[in-house]
Amino acid sequence: MIAAWRFTALVITILLSTTLWTSSAFGQPAPYDRPVDAAPQAKNIGGGYITPEVQKPLPRSYWLEVLDVALLAAAMILVSWLVLRRRNRAWLLLVTIASLAYFGFYREGCVCPIGSIQNVVVALTDPEYSIPIFVTAIFFLPLFMALFVGRAFCGGVCPLGAIQELVLLKPVRVPRRLDRTLGLLKYVYLALAIWYAAQPIADRDFVICRFDPFVSIFRRTGFAHMIGIGIGLLALSMFVGRPYCRYLCPYGELLSWCTRFASRGVTITPDKEIDCGLCADACPYGAIEKNRAVRKSCLYCARCYASCPRTGPMVPTVRSEAAASPDGGRS
Amino acid sequence: MSQIVVPTLGHRLQSIPRSWQRLTALCIAAPAGLIVLACIGMLTWSYATARIRAPHDEQHVLELQEKARTDAAFASELADEQAMQTEFRQQRAAKDARITLMLLLASTAFVASMKWLVSLRDRFVPLQSQFVQLRLPPRAPAAAGSRSSALRRPESGEVSAIDLSHVDRIVAEIGRSAEAAIPILQAIQSIYRYLPDDALHRVCELTEITPAQIAGTSSFYKQLRRTPIGEHFVRVCHGTACHVAGARQVTDELRRHLEIPEGADTDTQQRFTLDEVACLGCCSLAPVLMIDEHTSGRLTSLSAYDALQTFLTEQAS
Repeated sequence: MIAAWRFTALVITILLSTTLWTSSAFGQPAPYDRPVDAAPQAKNIGGGYITPEVQKPLPRSYWLEVLDVALLAAAMILVSWLVLRRRNRAWLLLVTIASLAYFGFYREGCVCPIGSIQNVVVALTDPEYSIPIFVTAIFFLPLFMALFVGRAFCGGVCPLGAIQELVLLKPVRVPRRLDRTLGLLKYVYLALAIWYAAQPIADRDFVICRFDPFVSIFRRTGFAHMIGIGIGLLALSMFVGRPYCRYLCPYGELLSWCTRFASRGVTITPDKEIDCGLCADACPYGAIEKNRAVRKSCLYCARCYASCPRTGPMVPTVRSEAAASPDGGRS
Repeated sequence: MSQIVVPTLGHRLQSIPRSWQRLTALCIAAPAGLIVLACIGMLTWSYATARIRAPHDEQHVLELQEKARTDAAFASELADEQAMQTEFRQQRAAKDARITLMLLLASTAFVASMKWLVSLRDRFVPLQSQFVQLRLPPRAPAAAGSRSSALRRPESGEVSAIDLSHVDRIVAEIGRSAEAAIPILQAIQSIYRYLPDDALHRVCELTEITPAQIAGTSSFYKQLRRTPIGEHFVRVCHGTACHVAGARQVTDELRRHLEIPEGADTDTQQRFTLDEVACLGCCSLAPVLMIDEHTSGRLTSLSAYDALQTFLTEQAS
């Protein structure tokens, strides 16, 4: 049943991405050429002024764009392998730091899948707009991944998640009802983002990017109020696990829809684990209910595995078959 | 799935005393926190002064421009003023960039050292090094005449040459016919706490009981055992109430932490023998285990070793 739904979701995403791709490949891109005479000319300024050859910022080189997409895919595969197979948090933290350094501080938080929601919406509503293929790829890759293994993107790849993950100090348990109510903000934010992105070009606004709380930290510049919000949110995320991801991130909402069809994910199974509840205490995101991981809110941090006396480091593992044999392992 | 054990930094740091670690972390966290606060203060100050200054500067330039339009003498003053303002802004931008970088580094150091401090405070998963104490307490000297000294397991050196005179005495007391098999085996077990092979051979020599009968009887009854028993006998209740309350998990955890090999019921150091029994009769305390005559209830998989540890420390004292 789940496989059938996943197949449907896959078909939808593939159709959507190919539509966007072909529209960008064969569509007429809107002319974006700043006439050279619009810039100050030597005759206006006089003196030794030389008109610069380049009148607009050069786009990022093709191969660097390819590198970004490849790194995104590689990081997601690495994260899901580390979490699902190795159940190892130490290496995951290294990947998180690397992602924060590259996608956050080096690439300055752009293009990110969260913001690309708006580009996709514009591409779907405005025939004049041609979406770059890299943006399409960056939007769909984490969703594809989530259809199979869950929110690996959130775990150690997303720079916004990474910066909150790394500052988390002493998480408080958010009451379940408050947690759910605040979680509804994501729908509001998603709806607002789509609404403003779908406006005609004169009124169009990319609210996700405009109110991205951490991008001013990545760029180390920006509006004073946004820097303030960023620092405030970081201070909050020292005590509340990833407030942006859990209560605001519209892309996280899309990903959590996709995880409904995932066949793999972080699992706390009764066979291998011992139901001691340490993992539920260790989860700062309230993603373990009744000692079982809730895939749609699991943010792939692997704290449950790190806190598990069974899979924890330096603890020898014992095959449970011996204890489960009919005579209780007696000779 | 095979687990690859990677010792984390936290485990490597275990050899350093906690008070030292706490002191080091505090020594990093306190100055880093002060630097963070100072940087935020400086940035705010720089922003505020620039905001306050900007309208005045702009006004001043506009006034000078107005004057320069009518009086050429003001042109150089205007140029000077503009150059000064530009230099001020550039200096501010450069200074802010340096402070921001320092802020980033200091906040990284602050968060990292605070994480270290927090991890020192609530480490509530018991680590392996703490269980070593549990497994190796000073051996309790058995009180003379008590049950445990009377039924002591033969020391490992004695196993090959056990005192078979007990067997001779028992056979003489109980009899040599095949019906005496069960009483003889019970009596032997009450002395050696298990049925040593040498003693069983001796029984065959002395009586009419065949080795096949002995093998059949000793493997049929659960009260008779052929392998040496540990110093303490741990009975984990697997009755209905205890089963529902997680007796399986308690047993699994004890087996794992006592390092009882697969298929055996006694750990390699011969300290504990683990048995699963039907019911210990105190279902309200489920899950329950008994260590010799000492009962512990309301266990979890974590507190099960605490029960063993408490028992051992009480024995030692």
